[in-house]
Amino acid sequence: MVNRKRKILDWGNSILFLGPTTFFFVITVIIPFIYGIYLTFHSMSTPTDPLVFSGVENYVQAINDTRFWESLWITIKFVFATTILINIVGFCLAYLVTLVIERAKVQNFLRSAYFTPNLIGGLVLGFIWQFVFVQILPAIGDFTGIKWLELGWLGDPVMAFWALVIVTVWQQSGYMMIIFIAGLISIPKDLMEAATIDGAGPLKRLRYVILPLMVPSFVVTIFLSLRNAFMIYDLNLSLTDGGPYNSTLMATMHVVNKAFIEYDYGTGQAEAIVLFIIVAVITGLQVYFSKKKEIEA
Amino acid sequence: MMSKAGKLSKALAYIIAFIVFCFYIFPFILIVINSFKSNGEILTNPFALPESWRFSHFKEVFVRMNFPVTFKNSLIITVFSTLLILLFSSMAAYHLVRKPTKYNKIFFSILVASMVIPFQSLMIPLIHIYGAKFRLIHQMPIPLLIGFYIGFGSSLSIFIFHGFIKSIPYEIEEAARIDGCNTLQTYFFVVLPLLKPITVTVAVINILWIWNDYLLPSLVLNTESVFTMPIKMKVFFGTYMNDWELLIPAILITILPIYIFYFLCQKYVISGVIQGSIK
Amino acid sequence: MKRFIYFLFVSVFVLVLVGCGGQKETADEGGTGDSGDSQVKIVITNGKGEISEQFNEAAKTFMEAYPDIEVEVHSKAVGDTLNPYDKLTASGVTVTIAMFEPYEAMTKYKDIALDLSDEKWNEETSDALTDEEGRVIGFPFAIEGMGLVYNEDVVKNAVGDDFDPFAINTRDRLIELLDKIKESGIEHPVAYQTEAWSVGNHYSSLFLNQEGDPAAMLDKLANGSIKLIENEVWNGYYDTLDLLISEEYNAYGERPLGQYYDSAHVAVGNGESAILFNGNWAFDSLQALEGTNFGFMPVPVDNNPDNPLNNKIAVGPTQVLFINKNATPEEQEAAKTFLNWLVYEEAGQDFLVNKAQIISAFKNNPYTVTNPLGVAISEAIANGQTMPFSTNYINAGEWSTIVGPEVQKYIAGEITREDLAAFFEDYFKNQ
Repeated sequence: MVNRKRKILDWGNSILFLGPTTFFFVITVIIPFIYGIYLTFHSMSTPTDPLVFSGVENYVQAINDTRFWESLWITIKFVFATTILINIVGFCLAYLVTLVIERAKVQNFLRSAYFTPNLIGGLVLGFIWQFVFVQILPAIGDFTGIKWLELGWLGDPVMAFWALVIVTVWQQSGYMMIIFIAGLISIPKDLMEAATIDGAGPLKRLRYVILPLMVPSFVVTIFLSLRNAFMIYDLNLSLTDGGPYNSTLMATMHVVNKAFIEYDYGTGQAEAIVLFIIVAVITGLQVYFSKKKEIEA
Repeated sequence: MMSKAGKLSKALAYIIAFIVFCFYIFPFILIVINSFKSNGEILTNPFALPESWRFSHFKEVFVRMNFPVTFKNSLIITVFSTLLILLFSSMAAYHLVRKPTKYNKIFFSILVASMVIPFQSLMIPLIHIYGAKFRLIHQMPIPLLIGFYIGFGSSLSIFIFHGFIKSIPYEIEEAARIDGCNTLQTYFFVVLPLLKPITVTVAVINILWIWNDYLLPSLVLNTESVFTMPIKMKVFFGTYMNDWELLIPAILITILPIYIFYFLCQKYVISGVIQGSIK
Repeated sequence: MKRFIYFLFVSVFVLVLVGCGGQKETADEGGTGDSGDSQVKIVITNGKGEISEQFNEAAKTFMEAYPDIEVEVHSKAVGDTLNPYDKLTASGVTVTIAMFEPYEAMTKYKDIALDLSDEKWNEETSDALTDEEGRVIGFPFAIEGMGLVYNEDVVKNAVGDDFDPFAINTRDRLIELLDKIKESGIEHPVAYQTEAWSVGNHYSSLFLNQEGDPAAMLDKLANGSIKLIENEVWNGYYDTLDLLISEEYNAYGERPLGQYYDSAHVAVGNGESAILFNGNWAFDSLQALEGTNFGFMPVPVDNNPDNPLNNKIAVGPTQVLFINKNATPEEQEAAKTFLNWLVYEEAGQDFLVNKAQIISAFKNNPYTVTNPLGVAISEAIANGQTMPFSTNYINAGEWSTIVGPEVQKYIAGEITREDLAAFFEDYFKNQ
């Protein structure tokens, strides 16, 4: 009897606490996502056309779309470069404003400032940085005579790619820095002191005390930077627009172009699902292996 | 006490910190400087100071953006979405931490996994379902958009709350239970107050995202009277014409509230995350 | 802390109220729309984002003159993925008047077009869009043209005041002109932005005009009967492009690609450079000082001064208006009233030409645009120095994402002329 009452109470609590979130999550993410998969088995030339069943035709088109795979390869390179750099820069910043600079006021001021690139949306940032890569850096190159700076960055496939990487790292490192600061602060002080007494220099402390304890933070930051890099769209659009000659065209932008510019909604939707599967597998593996590492560490 | 080398490296650290500082805040400075300039001045040298400090562009942008209405829309959408995300997500996270049943674990995994769904794959379905089928986009765009934000925002928010609540010792709640509080009371009177620091962090993350968001509102908001600031701002991006002298003041007006908000509570933002991660 | 909790509760409560209030409000709006029996509401989509404010003003002016018609305008914005017609249709709204580019109008949307053959305004224009059966389906909203945009002050400074842009009708004469501009102290006479849509959709479609009718040319390309690498006109345009992007003349010659839209236009606008390839819509981007004059030169394709391609600039209707077949008869009538207002009434004519600076396709419109590039197009039309706007015949979406980047590869030296020819042949065959 008591047991049954408890059960009802448990159910009530579940609905009360999980209900609202579940409701909104299901109607905005789950249902549209499943419906999106359903759509990929139909052909449509406008988003309002009546659906005509077309089997796996859209997936066949997606698999044969060489530009999609090219864009995916570019995305993977981009993900690789930004994930590594964001985490290194973010960690260094956190280290700098936590363990090196120790005056609380300066710490707070710098931490806040390093976070500010997150306050402006990607589209606007892209346009601002265009000035830098098209006009400012060449001007500096002219002035100093540094040859490789003299020409606009965005016209060369390699430099345009790195321009995207630089802006992304610049924008996101501040965000990751905050997560790293949290990790650094939670390292017990006595552990550090003990290491110092044992004669460990700063590098040794970093290697044997700090980094192992930072693994949980890295799990989160690597996950977030992987995800953000795969999802990049606004900045890609406004900074390079995929150019020169599609050499910086990332997968999400290709998907949007396919659906909304070339009016191939079915294939675009199918490619978006393929992209999801790839991102899910990669981030899934990352989380799985780093969690394993976390337990070992 | 400090050795000479130590002092030197300290000085070096400050210098590096300062250079990085300049590098990280320059876009904002650039926006401020250029919002007083004419198109010609902006395009020939965006880094120069304006020849004269003109406010006329601000006035024009203010009128053309229909600022009071647009600002109100942005504010309503951002504030209500954020508040509801905070309430619902913290409750859900609390429940998921304290009742780690099999189903709850699966639900949590799905929430986290959903973070890797590209928004581009949901655009067509969202329009199909809420435009064509239920016509909600037409009938109640703002409540619908707030609902969407709660849906899209809950996964990351729950994820962050989840990590924080795990670090709260259960003993604190036990005392309340013994005093006869039910779960809801325990949550509101014991747990929620403890969540304050992380709540600020989650709030900031959501406010930044929702205030600046363009793609989602561009799908849902169809009439002038419900437009948000970023959507109105896009009016100044003509098709073949970038009207920078209006665009940049528009950007400044759009992001200024965010900067003010951020600097008012930056203390909490940073300390929030920091406390949030102490497990 | 208690205050914090109260705050949350109160906010949620307020939200519920606002939520309900919001619903009521929209319901009321719907009510007023339906209640007045005489009131008809028409929804117009505007694809030219740069005139969105003028269009809204025009709607207000129109509603004052026709109080029983309510006009709602939706303009496209940069960064929008869905065009306003698709977006509104998908959200359950019936668009009454839709603005499309001719190619998409003739392919994707031709089934929604109402037959406009019996409209009176057909007497005043020869640019209306017709379908295969010869029915008029599109109202020509804007006439636009493209060619070599030049800064007249700089050019006259180099060659004298009697400069005639249409005298530059061979490639050698263009080279001569560029050299003279260089001699006059301009280091780089050309500042060409080479974005994918420009070198693709616009520049690379010009060769379709070689036999007069671009549609006939496209048919031949589709059945593979033209070898482009042997086609003189096709090669000629790329010879001229080579010239325009060369290190000798182009400000970005060392690296011709790379997001130069703003800087190229400002350079030509302020006289640092003299020439770029674009259309009359580029005028605002030039950010020219008051009093500077600009015009168009034809793009020379060879050294034969009698070749019509060397003596004409590409001009045509780039935006057409459809009346939606699926709108109610009342809405269609109201839409026709709006189109007539654009053609026949002073306020409509004023909006189109004076306010929006659009070159009208209608003979009876007494106004002329004031922006110099628009003036140049109008004059070319009056003098019969125009050929079809070739971009209207191609799939603009694919050309900006597939064809344009391929031309950019050619510009960057990644592929040869032969590769480019082979790519084009393949592309046309697979259409």
